[in-house]
Amino acid sequence: MLKQKAIGIQLERKKGATLINWNLKRPHPPEKIHIPIPAFGRPCAQIGEDVQAGQKIAEPQGSEGVSVHAGMSGVVEKVLIFPNTTGAEKQMIEIRRHGEPKILPPAETRKGWEQIPAAELPKIFQNFGLVTTDPFMEPVHTKLGRHAGARTIIINGCEPEPYITCEQVLTMSHPVEILKGAELLRKTLGAEKIFFAFESCDLEMIELIKSKIYFLKWEHAEVRTVPALYPQGLEGTLLQAWFPGEEEKAVVFPASTAFAVYEAVAQQKPFYEKVVTVGGECVVEPRSLWLPIGISFHDALRACKGVMREPQKLLMNGPMSGTAQMTAEVSVTAGTSAILALPKEVAKEETGEVCIHCNLCVDHCPVSLSPAMITLAAERKEFSVAEEWNVADCIECGNCAYVCPSKRPMLELIRLSRGLSKPAVPIPIHCSKAEIGAVPTTVNQKKRKAGAVIHG
Amino acid sequence: MAEAALFYKTTLPPHIHSADSLARRYWGQAIALTPLFVIACLTGHAKILRILLICLVSAITFEFLASKLFKKKENLRNGEAVLIAAIFSLLMPPRCPSEVVILGVFMAVFVAKELFGGTGSYLLHPLLVARVFLQLCFPQIMSEPMLLAGEGNLWTLVGISLGGILFLKQKQNYWEISVLFMSVCFACEALFGGRQMPVTFFSGVLLISFFLLADPVAMPLTRKGTIFFVLGAAFLSSRLSPDGFSIRSAGCAILLMNLLTPWLDVCLKPVPYKTKHQVKATYPA
Repeated sequence: MLKQKAIGIQLERKKGATLINWNLKRPHPPEKIHIPIPAFGRPCAQIGEDVQAGQKIAEPQGSEGVSVHAGMSGVVEKVLIFPNTTGAEKQMIEIRRHGEPKILPPAETRKGWEQIPAAELPKIFQNFGLVTTDPFMEPVHTKLGRHAGARTIIINGCEPEPYITCEQVLTMSHPVEILKGAELLRKTLGAEKIFFAFESCDLEMIELIKSKIYFLKWEHAEVRTVPALYPQGLEGTLLQAWFPGEEEKAVVFPASTAFAVYEAVAQQKPFYEKVVTVGGECVVEPRSLWLPIGISFHDALRACKGVMREPQKLLMNGPMSGTAQMTAEVSVTAGTSAILALPKEVAKEETGEVCIHCNLCVDHCPVSLSPAMITLAAERKEFSVAEEWNVADCIECGNCAYVCPSKRPMLELIRLSRGLSKPAVPIPIHCSKAEIGAVPTTVNQKKRKAGAVIHG
Repeated sequence: MAEAALFYKTTLPPHIHSADSLARRYWGQAIALTPLFVIACLTGHAKILRILLICLVSAITFEFLASKLFKKKENLRNGEAVLIAAIFSLLMPPRCPSEVVILGVFMAVFVAKELFGGTGSYLLHPLLVARVFLQLCFPQIMSEPMLLAGEGNLWTLVGISLGGILFLKQKQNYWEISVLFMSVCFACEALFGGRQMPVTFFSGVLLISFFLLADPVAMPLTRKGTIFFVLGAAFLSSRLSPDGFSIRSAGCAILLMNLLTPWLDVCLKPVPYKTKHQVKATYPA
């Protein structure tokens, strides 16, 4: 195996604040949630129907679809078209809480789940609504089918972006479940090996998983590390580092997907909630917690006691690749790993200047492109030149824009030359300003203006 | 419980940026040159301050006029004009008449830089273009010794070395640039023999390798390309003049290599990972 030189940037990790509260809690159910219906899905719950948390509310259509399950108990209020976190308008089911929330009985363990034949597992994945917990949100059974020839499963526990700790907290809280979920994925695919990927600085997690592998006496599993650099640890760069030129020989799943697989197969629990990091300097009590799919960012922030100051930006996922949200009314999806409320001084607006050919973007490109050449061509609207300089190969990691001393809008120009005319920035929600709930803040406005910060 | 903003700013990622900036770079380089000027003043070369002052005033004036004339955003605060003035004053003989200095700065800032598109767009190093222009127009004046070429002493060498160390600490440039330029110049001087005094030779090499090769605008856009550029510039610096290395020959060598930059950019284009490995699609469509 060729040894690739790790290219990336060392970002300030800023994970300490969200790691203070290790306990994974579930917040009080919100008033309402908006659960997105995937493209290959059809709502099966009736308007006005009482549903329980985990109850199926949409059926899969075709082999590529997955079922959708209610994130909380309540009444199906309506099926509506609502913008999601990428700004696209999607069909969603609104569930309104009905009365006081009930405490759900613990899920029953499926008898003989370890003996379920591999051929039956994809059906379970489909019926329990399992999708990958990365921004692609691909149905697990479809992804496995697409990588039928892969010989290795990589369970990714890396979080190269600052603030995000959801995979770390989940792995530290449920290591055995993640190992068993990984084994179920391996069994389904018929793969030979499992690699657990972690960043080299996460020593506790590495040791914990190593010890569990040792106790389970698994010779087909091993822990591998990548340098703690961004974008090392993302799916593409992991494959690039460990299987250069042979990416089809391995398939990557986030650790939280492996956990969801275990819960679906062993505990018979459908996929309707996930661990999300709610953080950023503006959040009063940053932490990772269980959030139902469909809960609004507004309610998620409320679960962390709100914000102590007005955020400049509200992000879904990390500050390097996340999407800035226009309002807090958008809902958590399977692809949401973090909700970040960043203040002005962190997410400050920079004015772009001219390129001075400093080469920093070229040196930090993980796929060996020349972002300076591409963007200079895009500025002059010479898109054919950008194509000659392989703009199509860009993975949009954002390294070039981060390191640029001129603060040029590199990603915008790259997307322009790739023909992606409009960036994935959320469009305004089609409802009046009054309907949009403001993010709760625990700070008294008057005292905040005077410089005093008061919690509570 | 009070309420925060209803709408937030939306921009494309990344939402955070490094602390590096153009102003930081230009001011950093200008500050790195301070020890040289201080030492020059303390060791009887205060004349250089007159040149520096003329350069500063004229560079700022021409930058301001150019921004008004070409309707560009005024960038006086980022320190580029100060850096241009500081380096250009080192390229001029300390006894040079004021009008010649002003003409030189005009050539550098207005003609070689702004007429070719301003910062980031010029093809040839503006300071060296101005230096060569003055050499052609006023050969007698420009042949007089410069601070770092004939006029200076061991102390000015110490000053430029300190500046070089300060500049290297800022990590603005590839370390290979300075190391390769110095090594090739030394090797050529040892092989072919030069007629420069050791202090003059070392001071000149240090000035070129740290401060004149620090302007990346007219240099190739890859590490490999930059290394070729520096090797070519160092070799030509020693071979263009029968006397071996000098700041004048180095200036011409860099200008010649500047002309080769677009060709180096295309020839040494980075090979993308996917082309190297013929990767099959691993992401969902």
